[in-house]
Amino acid sequence: MLGNITGNKTAYKEDDDNKINTEKDKYIIKKGDIYIIAAVLFLTLVSIIVPGIFSAGNNIRPKAVIIQDNKVIKEINLEKIDKAERFEIRGYYNITVLMEQGRIRFEEADCPDKLCVKTGWLSKPGDTAICLPARVIIKIEGEKEDNEDVDGVTY
Amino acid sequence: MAAKRGKYLSFKNIIFVFAVLSFAIMIFFIAKDNITSGLNNENAENKVVKKQSFLMGTVITQQVYGANGEIAADEVVRRLEEIEKRVTLNSADSEIYMLNEMAGKGTVSLSKDTIYILSVAKKYAELSNGAFDPTVGPLVKAWGISPGSGRIPGDEEIKSLLPLIDFNDLIIDEEKLTARLEKAGQSVDLGGIAKGYAGDEAIRIYREYGIESAYINLGGNVVTLGNKPDGSPWRIGVQNPRDITGNYVGIIEVSNKTVVTSGDYERYFERDGKRYHHIIDPRTGYPSESGLISATIVCDLSIDADALSTSVFVLGLEKGMELVEKLEGVEAILITNDKNIYVSSGLEGKFNFNEKATDFKYVGKYNRQ
Repeated sequence: MLGNITGNKTAYKEDDDNKINTEKDKYIIKKGDIYIIAAVLFLTLVSIIVPGIFSAGNNIRPKAVIIQDNKVIKEINLEKIDKAERFEIRGYYNITVLMEQGRIRFEEADCPDKLCVKTGWLSKPGDTAICLPARVIIKIEGEKEDNEDVDGVTY
Repeated sequence: MAAKRGKYLSFKNIIFVFAVLSFAIMIFFIAKDNITSGLNNENAENKVVKKQSFLMGTVITQQVYGANGEIAADEVVRRLEEIEKRVTLNSADSEIYMLNEMAGKGTVSLSKDTIYILSVAKKYAELSNGAFDPTVGPLVKAWGISPGSGRIPGDEEIKSLLPLIDFNDLIIDEEKLTARLEKAGQSVDLGGIAKGYAGDEAIRIYREYGIESAYINLGGNVVTLGNKPDGSPWRIGVQNPRDITGNYVGIIEVSNKTVVTSGDYERYFERDGKRYHHIIDPRTGYPSESGLISATIVCDLSIDADALSTSVFVLGLEKGMELVEKLEGVEAILITNDKNIYVSSGLEGKFNFNEKATDFKYVGKYNRQ
């Protein structure tokens, strides 16, 4: 079949001359069809690859995830923040979270140990701050987690 | 013009284009999952579930690989909630709470879980000559040590509590699934061992779901299943006892092992320049002053590692290392208050000291003086 495509240039020309219903019509694939096939296949490929690239890209871009009582309560794209923003989390203890472009931290907490505030800024994927008394976790998620040289730490 | 349209839009061509389109759509759906998951590196075997939960008074981090990761991780959370409910001191309907309430009064029926944890706890109390003791409850309560707060009980108060601390008074009937405490006022605290059991149960559940690679960290107790998906062992850092959480003094590589640490930095408060930490020496009634600031145990079962890390921390370098060397398949990394790091014979050459921990000195295998 494919061999016929190139082998019938003349037939195609004749066809171009409005000779319909000649024997050439039995060849199903014509020049125009090839363009269509190519276009459809190209579009298919593009529609597969492009969203893939975009979603992979989204994973690399870090986002802050805030968990309270084992539930995700907020997800924030830190790149989109252009000036300092604060918000409060109320629960067992009250917490103020501060965000700036590309980074986030526990700013204030009325929990007893303040370990969450002492953790400081989080900016790289894998960075985590935890307020155990308030049961709140802030972590940065992203494709490339910066877990330094270890998979975990025993303490 | 009309003729031209006739040529491109003939019945056959429409059918043909339709066929090509269908074929393309089919490819689209087949390829989409493979290609995008390839880009995101998430095909079934490498698929990773990372889950953090507040359980057992701490943060539990799971990292589970494989197709069943999600359901296995959820099942682990349910199981840990169940264990916590049985052994917690904070709830009047826990089994340990009932056992303590009935101290000196009578016998209590308990679940298999609780009986097992109590039996192992008693075993290590015997093995460590009471350096680890599940009946330490009255002392833990008197000190009330949590991060940043606590009280210093008077010497008289501690003296009056010491006779209550005796694991021989914990009577366990493993057949009938009952236990009792002999004297009124005695109480069991499984804080030094329950997370270890929970870690073992997590690994059992991962296996049940056919998972071959998983990591769980229960408030510092690390338990690993298999290797990492790429076939290499898990690299576990040992917390630097005088630095922020996450900074380590060295790394050991493990597979199918648990790594558990007891340290004086986990929960403590300071008063008049003195550090009062949460590991109470059951023999003295005061926070342990054995000369160790951190004791890490590497072995197969996390319940053993949990009890042993406390035992060894309280026993100190010499006696602690002696106990470790006596036990089959148990290794240790011990850090003294003069910031020397010692390892047991099986870890010689396997502990990668972190050069950034400049305050500390890696001595190597401990040789008895």
